[in-house]
Amino acid sequence: MKTERCREWRDSLGAYALGHLSPEERAGIEAHLEGCAECRAEADSLALVSSLLPHADPERFGPPPQPPAELGDRIAARIGAERQAGRRRHRLRLGLASSGAVAAAAATALAVFVLAGDSGSGPEQHLAFRSLPPGVKIAATLEPRAFGTEIHMYVKGIRSGTLCRVFMRGPGGASISAGTFRYRWGGDAAAVLSSALDLSRAQALVVRAGDRTFVAPIGVSDTAMYDKTQEVTT
Amino acid sequence: MPPRALIRERDVREAYAAHAAELYGFAVRSLGDSGLAEEAVQETFLRAWRAGERFDPQIGSLRTWLFAILRNVVIDLGRARAARPTLAEGGVEPSVEPLDEALLAWQVEEAMRRIGEQHRRVLVETYYRGRPYAEVAEELGVPEGTVKSRVYYGLRALRVVLEEMGYED
Repeated sequence: MKTERCREWRDSLGAYALGHLSPEERAGIEAHLEGCAECRAEADSLALVSSLLPHADPERFGPPPQPPAELGDRIAARIGAERQAGRRRHRLRLGLASSGAVAAAAATALAVFVLAGDSGSGPEQHLAFRSLPPGVKIAATLEPRAFGTEIHMYVKGIRSGTLCRVFMRGPGGASISAGTFRYRWGGDAAAVLSSALDLSRAQALVVRAGDRTFVAPIGVSDTAMYDKTQEVTT
Repeated sequence: MPPRALIRERDVREAYAAHAAELYGFAVRSLGDSGLAEEAVQETFLRAWRAGERFDPQIGSLRTWLFAILRNVVIDLGRARAARPTLAEGGVEPSVEPLDEALLAWQVEEAMRRIGEQHRRVLVETYYRGRPYAEVAEELGVPEGTVKSRVYYGLRALRVVLEEMGYED
């Protein structure tokens, strides 16, 4: 129930929540809270808010940096491109399913379950290699370039110093080297490689890390690849 | 009216207009680099658009959903940047704790930006700078009781703003 005494104490509840009251004032307000459920509920709720204050940095209460004006247009352009690429990819998928190229060639016997990482890729494509040994992560981003394809490789969890050879598989299963890199613990985030093969003609990305081979098909969506789990043998 | 799902390109534009600045601000804060932050915001809206049908305003606000996506994007960017085989070296996965702490910090800082200047001022002076109420009162040219009262209403305003932003304890 709201009383005259409540009004008297209310204004001190903020300072109380922040621990700013003198011992006498604190004792007074606590005596009131003891007998007033309404003020007690208010005090509890303010205590919660005040418990969040230490997380904030008062130097950052000013206006935050603003994104560049053209970022919105850039995103809209990417989405437009992706919508178009989605249609193109659909056609590609139909072609790949009949050729069986994915199963064609690989170096060592290894069950791989590969699927494209991002379902809707635009001009650039993100590939993730799945069902890798525990703790190992391999991913790649492919970007179409005038000379062919630029490949950004991300590797994690393999032994430091391991030599990795990368190939792109083109139409008919022909492998075209995309170069080599050595994985170093704590090294740069991505190895940047290139291949003369056009991204639009590429069918798979093959990574040989040491004596193991990992394959990720290109231009195939998530859902299609769920049906394509397969044993890849020499 | 909030969008039911993020399917049309127009929905994305509206979502961008409403939330991009804040997402970008947090991305800069957590990544410490404006170029990476742009990349993160772009990736966030692309992922949001790809998964647009899964957005359900019944479950949470668009803002909360976009921040959840951004959080994952920042984790991915951080991992790509670090790219350390910590597992092979007997380490552990990079912790997401600093990121979640940054996210909480951002919420409180954003809430502070949204409350009135008078309220923010007394909270900064008395709480963050630890100055006596009497001193702050003198500087502002108001009675000490007014400072106390502003502290109270400031905390209340903060609570309201945090609730609006979807903060849940």
